[in-house]
Amino acid sequence: MEARTDHNEVFSFWPKHNERLFARLESKHLHVEPSTDPLEAEMSLNLGPQHPATHGVLRCALKLDGENIKTCVVDIGYLHRGIEKLAENKTYQEFMPYTDRMDYLAPYSNNVAFCLAVEKLAGIEVPLRAQYIRTLMSELSRISSHLLWMGTMVMDSGALSVFLWTFKHREVLYSIFDEVAGARFTVSHSRIGGVAGDLSQRAVDLIEDFLPKFSEELDEWMPFLNRNRIWVDRIQGVGVITKEEALAIGMTGPNLRASGVKFDIRRFEPYLVYDRLEFDIPTREDGDSLARYLVRQEEMKQSVRIARQCLDALATLEGPIRVDNAKQGYASKDEVYYSMEGMIHDFVMTDTGVCPPKGAEVYHAIEAPKGELGFFLISDGTGSPWRVRINSPMN
Amino acid sequence: MGHRTLDFLFSPVDPPKPSAERKNPLAKDSTFDSDAVTALQDEFGEHIADVTLYANEHTVYVDRESIVDLCTFLKDRFGYVYLSDLGGIDRFTEEQRFEVLYSLIAMERGKRIRLKVRLDEEDPVVPSIYGVYPAAGWNERECWDMFGIRFDGHPDLRRMFMPEDFEHFPLRKEFPSLGIPGSLPLPSQTDDGEIVKDPFPAAHGSKPLRRTPFPE
Repeated sequence: MEARTDHNEVFSFWPKHNERLFARLESKHLHVEPSTDPLEAEMSLNLGPQHPATHGVLRCALKLDGENIKTCVVDIGYLHRGIEKLAENKTYQEFMPYTDRMDYLAPYSNNVAFCLAVEKLAGIEVPLRAQYIRTLMSELSRISSHLLWMGTMVMDSGALSVFLWTFKHREVLYSIFDEVAGARFTVSHSRIGGVAGDLSQRAVDLIEDFLPKFSEELDEWMPFLNRNRIWVDRIQGVGVITKEEALAIGMTGPNLRASGVKFDIRRFEPYLVYDRLEFDIPTREDGDSLARYLVRQEEMKQSVRIARQCLDALATLEGPIRVDNAKQGYASKDEVYYSMEGMIHDFVMTDTGVCPPKGAEVYHAIEAPKGELGFFLISDGTGSPWRVRINSPMN
Repeated sequence: MGHRTLDFLFSPVDPPKPSAERKNPLAKDSTFDSDAVTALQDEFGEHIADVTLYANEHTVYVDRESIVDLCTFLKDRFGYVYLSDLGGIDRFTEEQRFEVLYSLIAMERGKRIRLKVRLDEEDPVVPSIYGVYPAAGWNERECWDMFGIRFDGHPDLRRMFMPEDFEHFPLRKEFPSLGIPGSLPLPSQTDDGEIVKDPFPAAHGSKPLRRTPFPE
């Protein structure tokens, strides 16, 4: 088969790009070797960028030998939005809602990660109650993210019902986020210096209701899956990554812990209130898909445990939810609506916001559901960052 | 009574003074690694331009010639086995315009360190640390894609996100946020196969073309 050019050779789509991609694949173009037996033939195929199996926009150029993949060259960037560039033109607080969109399965963790980095840059101390609320909601978003991972993974291997079970609980989680933040999906609840609003009684009730139910049901699922021969046979020994390989390629999060590295930022450098809470870091030594599945499953249980402790602490902990300093965080709405100074502070925070010292640079990382999510910020002394480098766990 | 000098801790114009820096509530004490910094200064004295400290985070400024040796030294001697982050920084209008940032983690010892290499605008080339940390492979590609910093010895320095046909480096400060019209060739957008080279026509003042005609 000849190399195809788009639009009858009038217009070739990104010719240099494809040339280098196929040079990397050591193949000139897409082709199928003429042979009598298709399983013996060598072929180069293109998968994606839009393909039902890729769960996103990912293009793979593949070299196959029969049914086995010999080489795969990944072509990413179809979803690249230039978020680091956008950040340079926003104030710190203005950029925070953009972090929701980086990982829409755990938007709360992203908000918290960015706000913590800015707070470290400007030296802002967050009230304890706000820290507990952030911790609680981050753990709920971890459960939400892991549930989606589990549901889709089991669904892709053929069991649709688990997907529906997990989504039942994700729906409850979305209701909780809706009640707490006012949005189901892109929550944007964290503010620099605290959080936007306190937990309502209804939100507390919803979480109180969710935790035991979810914990119980998770325990009910496990015998179905962990002792299911079809499921275990499909993932045991698949995609084994050793400890050394995982460290070398810079894996992070549950995947790294499934390879036997006990690395979790919540324990490595505790942020928020994680140093006050009791929880375990599950690790497995095998490094295969089964280990990665079991680590996430155990992590959900630990998240329930953390959320439980946060709720208990919040029940007795009174206090502000945002820093009481108009140069460091938004004034409370009571002040804004009923005093001139509060109004002015609100305008100034929206217009300029916090101004960390010129030349200051910090890196702050949190343990997002998928791994280390770090923000490296450089300030130029104004209200907008000079550079935001996002160390995302996804790449 | 004379005016007391007002000591603003966070004024927008002054650079941070080490003495004026108050205790940062989020600074971590545990990941602070002064042993490694001292050892680096002893070992690579003349190759280290500067060491700065802010919020209990060391930044070691390294000559680009010795970055690979320094990473190897840290990996072998101090257990920095994990590359957490690598990225570029554009310090537009400064003397040495580009910076490459390396963020390393010593898992066993629970420490972090940050290295930086400064580069001139005319010659933005830095040796690749792919041999020491294979994790740097994609990060270096991203850095080349976004800033045009080349990495000597990288096995496969293709662009990461943008297509090879794109001629600009988007994260450089001179690149406009709206993009450059005509810089990304796209497939034809009209029914007669005409190629429109502006991906965001509305952003540049023209109305988007209608693909389907109005009904008669």
